[in-house]
Amino acid sequence: MKLITPPRPIGMVLGTEDATPTIFWFAVTPGSSVQLDDLVVVQTHKPDGQPVNFYGLVDSVRKRHEGIAFESDVADVVAGVLPAAVSYAARVLVTRVSPEDFIPPQPGDLVAHARNEALHMALSADKMEEAAFPAGLLADGQTLPLNFRFINGESGGHINISGISGVATKTSYALFLLHSIFRSGVMDRVAAKSGGQMAGTAGGRAIIFNVKGEDLLFLDKPNAKVVDREEKARLGKGFDTDRYSMLGLPMTPFRDVQFLAPPRESAVGGVIVPHVDQRSEGVTPFVFTLREFCLGRMLPYVFSDAGGSLNLGFVIGNIEEKLFKLAQAQKDNSAALHVEDWQAEPDQIIDEGLSFDELGKTRIQTFSQLISYLEYKLLEENDGLGDKRWVLNQNQGTLRAFTRRLRGVQKTLTPLVRGDLTPLQAEQFRPNLIRGPHQLSVVDIHNLSGPAQMFVVGVLLRDLFEHKEKNGRQDTVFVVLDELNKYAPREGGGPIKDILLDIAERGRSLGIILIGAQQTASEVERRIVSNAAIRVVGRLDLAEAERPEYRFLPQSFRARAGILQPGTMLISQPDVPTPLLVNYPFPAWATRKDEVDDLAGRPVEEVGEDWLR
Amino acid sequence: MRIRLDPWPVDIEGGQLALTPFEGALIDIETPRWAAVAARPIPERLERVYVVDGKRRMESRVFIEDDDGAAGMGGFGAYVVGAVSLCPHGTRPAELTDVKAMRMLAHAPGLRLDPCTLSPRDPHTGTLLYQPVENTTSDPLAALHTLQQTMLAAEQQLSHGYASAVPIDEQDDREWLTTLSVQDGTLRGKNLYGAVVGCVKTIQTMYLPPDRASLLAELKPGERTPILHMQYNNKTVTRFIWYVRLSEAAFYQHPMSGVMRLEMYAPDEPDFLPPIVRQVANLSGNLLLRLGSHAHKDPRAPQNLIPTAALEQAMARSMGSADLVTRRIRAHIARTFDPAVLA
Repeated sequence: MKLITPPRPIGMVLGTEDATPTIFWFAVTPGSSVQLDDLVVVQTHKPDGQPVNFYGLVDSVRKRHEGIAFESDVADVVAGVLPAAVSYAARVLVTRVSPEDFIPPQPGDLVAHARNEALHMALSADKMEEAAFPAGLLADGQTLPLNFRFINGESGGHINISGISGVATKTSYALFLLHSIFRSGVMDRVAAKSGGQMAGTAGGRAIIFNVKGEDLLFLDKPNAKVVDREEKARLGKGFDTDRYSMLGLPMTPFRDVQFLAPPRESAVGGVIVPHVDQRSEGVTPFVFTLREFCLGRMLPYVFSDAGGSLNLGFVIGNIEEKLFKLAQAQKDNSAALHVEDWQAEPDQIIDEGLSFDELGKTRIQTFSQLISYLEYKLLEENDGLGDKRWVLNQNQGTLRAFTRRLRGVQKTLTPLVRGDLTPLQAEQFRPNLIRGPHQLSVVDIHNLSGPAQMFVVGVLLRDLFEHKEKNGRQDTVFVVLDELNKYAPREGGGPIKDILLDIAERGRSLGIILIGAQQTASEVERRIVSNAAIRVVGRLDLAEAERPEYRFLPQSFRARAGILQPGTMLISQPDVPTPLLVNYPFPAWATRKDEVDDLAGRPVEEVGEDWLR
Repeated sequence: MRIRLDPWPVDIEGGQLALTPFEGALIDIETPRWAAVAARPIPERLERVYVVDGKRRMESRVFIEDDDGAAGMGGFGAYVVGAVSLCPHGTRPAELTDVKAMRMLAHAPGLRLDPCTLSPRDPHTGTLLYQPVENTTSDPLAALHTLQQTMLAAEQQLSHGYASAVPIDEQDDREWLTTLSVQDGTLRGKNLYGAVVGCVKTIQTMYLPPDRASLLAELKPGERTPILHMQYNNKTVTRFIWYVRLSEAAFYQHPMSGVMRLEMYAPDEPDFLPPIVRQVANLSGNLLLRLGSHAHKDPRAPQNLIPTAALEQAMARSMGSADLVTRRIRAHIARTFDPAVLA
């Protein structure tokens, strides 16, 4: 066993508080400074002389006058009348005992800061070996390693991030982790070790759903402020180099990014342009054809919030099946759905802009036409009785509820699900998240209404899951999804929740890793949160922090979660029994249009000349 | 019928006031006018005040046989002296100095003993070293007496070591009062000519005759009586004394509550009042008002001074837990009979 000689001692284990193998106090030597989150090491000796090392994390520090009994005595001490000593003590939560002899440390044992080798032991980095990648910087500027095997599904998978919107910087941290995973080389190291079982960085894919603003549409652009901000942080903390260098990561934006956005509303056959405001180039619109809608059984995802009602579920299932049959029977590769049995009224033909093919079949080209067709089949045919095979004895109320709900989402789904595309367009605008050359796909759904967002997320995740079920886990796909409480609420169910549960419980073995985030973990399905091997907490509401979902945080951390600043997170990982506080660098990629560094480091004149040329 | 309260709790032996009449001589050395003297400000030159105290503890009584077959009684004992160093103007934090416990094995005369080193089972808790010291008599209480005398000598040495010197004749005024030692309790031993003032917490003996004692009740906080030259009839003890009031007496307490007697060494012949003694008397009111404790924090308030209480606590602590020390002694002795015994 390697004997670790403590460097300069910073204190001694206290004898007036219980010293246990898992928690102990130490008195800080005058002249030393100990702060929360410092990592420390203590060596004690068994009676036979064998050393036992305790590695731990300072989770409480306090100073008080000792030897005086009254609170007002402080005035006498300051007046120079009463001699008193200041006791400066720190509490340590033990993260590791090596060798695993759980004897208590001895009062009087010397305590030192854990550095280098000792730090590795304290954070179990020695166990991670090639799977360690940087998750941020500890308070003293050392790197916190995270075990990739607990992310990629080998030993565990998934990351869950909680925190208040705005100040907790959940998405920023998720992106930082992706940057670290893709650019630290950890995927390649782990792949090399696996002997070809896994693909390296090249096979890694990430899908990010952009739910708020157009924050994520500039991930491929350098951030104009990052150099300044990092220089400030460097000076503020007294580091020698910037935080990216300390972490061993490049200060560069993401590479190989594609941006997908839903199309703007347009008339039948109109131009398909992405519905984004800030970014003018490089955004690909995505649409689903009506045919795919039917063939791919996407109908249930329109009713994500329906849950509950058994009868409605029955109708949805039945219609889904009928539409699937129709689409399957259709022989051409048209985007529209062709039906034979719909003789619409003339005024409806004009209203809906229906058209017919050469055989007289009605060509359903828009989502609203599809709804009209369903209304006809369920409520109008046979003098209002509907088509028996479609109605299946459901009462009118349920059928009306079904069509009413469809009408409710008609407006937002019409641009997304359409039958007026040429086969070429259909191919071009089909969302292609993992088969293409892009490592990172940002799916912008912030412009969509709630049900449409649910529809897109549900359909895309379902496709991803089915693809991975067929192709196995070799490539790892990371899915970043904020607002899990909306997609997988604790109460109620729905098709998206089912998909997310599948990912949480089986995704690990398929290579689908969910990087989920939410304001309140207490409102998210328990099995999704509990399946995450890595838990991250940013600023939390203090009432929320007391809920059982955060019991993995020791009390002192829960109190501190209420005062965390943006850029600081608490991270809990299976290898280290206590959470750790890290800060991570300012994004090297632009998060807003005005942060985009157009100059890319060149002088203004030069760039201007390029434009004029 | 009129009943008044002794200010101290009843479990403190003797209370604060016993007022036994004094048998000896008193001479007005400062002024013949018997009236309250107002406190003067503490002079800037006085930079340092040491509050000195000592404490002792008998830890075990033992019967000793030495290697030559001689036998006698003895005892393991510990004593500690120490001081609180403070600035009377409050310019720096008060600090404990020289608080260090010493241990001795006091034994009957004529025995030849080695020092006893008591080693603990736990190496972090340090060893205890008892130096053999011979008693002057073989009285059973001689060990306690030796311990007490050693402590008093150490205490006196400490307080005089700190203090400015008091000039011994009228012409000698070279020495300024820069450092004053305040010793807890009456002054012991012989005069070593240092600026050491003894603070006597209790008034066991009433030195003043009845016609003068009434002034004590009239003193306002900070005021003092004039300095007197006091000598016992048997001429064993000669001191300059004066009384200072530290706090008002509550209406239900004895009117002498809150009064303290101060004393300094004096030559046998009452012909000369050293200026330093007068200086100390003049500043004593303000100094003690500053150092006096409060009843809700100290049952012996205000006479038990704030630094004294802190010092007592520190000294008791430095001697260690009596129970643990006794156990250590028992284990040590047991081991001399059977080496296999641990503790």
